[in-house]
Amino acid sequence: MLVSTRRREQVTTRLFILPLAIVFVALFAIPVARSLYFSFTNFGGYSTKVSFIGFANYTALFSNPTVLTGLSFTLVYAIGQALIVTVIAIPLAIALNRRFVGRNFVRAALFFPAVPSAVILGLVWTFILAPISMGVVNSVLGELFGVGPVPWLSTNLLARLSVIGVGVWSQVGWHAMLYLAYLQSIPTDYYDAADVDGASSMQRLFRITVPLLAPAMTVSIVLLVVFGLQVYALPLALTGGGPGYATYTMSQTIIQLGISNAQYGQGAALSILFLLMVALVLVVQVTILRRREARLR
Amino acid sequence: MRRRSWVNRLATSVVMISIACTVAFPFYYIIVNTFKTQQQTSESPLGLPTSLSLTNYKNVWDNIPVLQSFENTLRVTVLSVAFMLLLGSMAAYGIVMRKNRASRRIHIVLLLALAVPFQVTLIPIYQAFVKFHLVDSLNGLVIIYTGGAIFSYFLIQGYMQTIPLEIIEAARIDGCGTVRMYWRIVIPLIRPVLVTVGIFQTIWVWNDFLAPTVFIISPQNYTLVLQAYQSVGEYTTNWPAFMTLSVLSLIPITIFFLLMQRHIVSGLAAGAVKG
Repeated sequence: MLVSTRRREQVTTRLFILPLAIVFVALFAIPVARSLYFSFTNFGGYSTKVSFIGFANYTALFSNPTVLTGLSFTLVYAIGQALIVTVIAIPLAIALNRRFVGRNFVRAALFFPAVPSAVILGLVWTFILAPISMGVVNSVLGELFGVGPVPWLSTNLLARLSVIGVGVWSQVGWHAMLYLAYLQSIPTDYYDAADVDGASSMQRLFRITVPLLAPAMTVSIVLLVVFGLQVYALPLALTGGGPGYATYTMSQTIIQLGISNAQYGQGAALSILFLLMVALVLVVQVTILRRREARLR
Repeated sequence: MRRRSWVNRLATSVVMISIACTVAFPFYYIIVNTFKTQQQTSESPLGLPTSLSLTNYKNVWDNIPVLQSFENTLRVTVLSVAFMLLLGSMAAYGIVMRKNRASRRIHIVLLLALAVPFQVTLIPIYQAFVKFHLVDSLNGLVIIYTGGAIFSYFLIQGYMQTIPLEIIEAARIDGCGTVRMYWRIVIPLIRPVLVTVGIFQTIWVWNDFLAPTVFIISPQNYTLVLQAYQSVGEYTTNWPAFMTLSVLSLIPITIFFLLMQRHIVSGLAAGAVKG
């Protein structure tokens, strides 16, 4: 009797896991396997017969200038915004941890840009950076310094910097909140002990606060880089990938090749490279940053 | 000494409020301009409107099916988030109840899925959707977002390990069936994590652009974000209308943020400190 209830329970708990297992197989395992398979075939394009072509798709990618530009901008964006956000978010979090008038308003205002879609944020910034009189940045610069309209979105370098700048603006507040959550979990005893020992405020910052934020840095930087590599909507809304291909992203290239041009083989090869990059970033960052955490402890 | 701390606090206030205003400035800028005519906007892009004209709102509302897109987005978001929470919590319960090697293995295999961005599975999923007639369908979007159930599973499973399972054991000894136990005991116990995960997944689905832009073709199926992006072309010369459309698409998510702000901040804190 007892044995049979146990058995029935085993069967039902298995049934509880089943739907998620189906999701895993249908939306992850099979598609990844098929991407891998396509990446070694000439599937799509003009041929009807599918045959293995080895690494030809991969070598074709590296001789395609559009792919390379997209790859390089995506890397620059992912690393650039991660660095800048980290450098701004930590001092911001330390300031937010103090008591001051209007703190709740400040926290909400800083966090809010993380809430709307990147598409809408990109569109909003196209008005602000526009070269005509309604573009508020240029009209203010013109009035104050008498400089002509700065082509924020239409030269290669400035367009790239603008995309990174808007990316930083939209994320810095919520990463500051993430650091703040860790700061609030640091016991005040540490600071009290430091005061007794006569530590300066700089020593308190670099000997207590920053080391104890190491785990937060692991989480924050991994999130920034992994999501940074997947950037798609923001540059598309802000610059449309241009001027030329200056702010083209890897995601845009995958969609272009694999959906619009029906070059499934090459698109799949690029998506497999993308997966390897994300996996590499995860492994490297987690090991390096965890080691750093251990050293600082 | 006390005087100095008071001065410090005031200085911090001034600096922080100025930073917050700078960060919030773009929102001020687009909102004030929705109440102006095109001429007023180009004459003083920053000033407050002289009169509260709603012409732009009427113009956008009459020309763009904003309400239709809103309904589409709402339907997709509600269904996707419901599926994610249901499948994620069911699996978390199943795994936590079976503490054996097989369930540990399943847990690790599922972990692999977290490293796979949607860009990687996009092309095969697109081909499968063509075959099953799920391209240009809102249900197709719901299926794609249900993939988020795996992420939900990890957060829910992590939370379940912090709650005492004795209460479940006690119910089991009292002869409570597995299904009833899940529904009557487990779900109420894990409510806080369901709220947190639900909020973050709602923001993700509501804002997502990648899936709609690839999978949705006909305008009557546009989500709000896709509608805003696609309609921008119609207003390239009429800036106030262009900004009005952006503001309209910001309203629902802003209301959601204001209602859920408390949960968002506490959820971020809990998730961060544990993760």
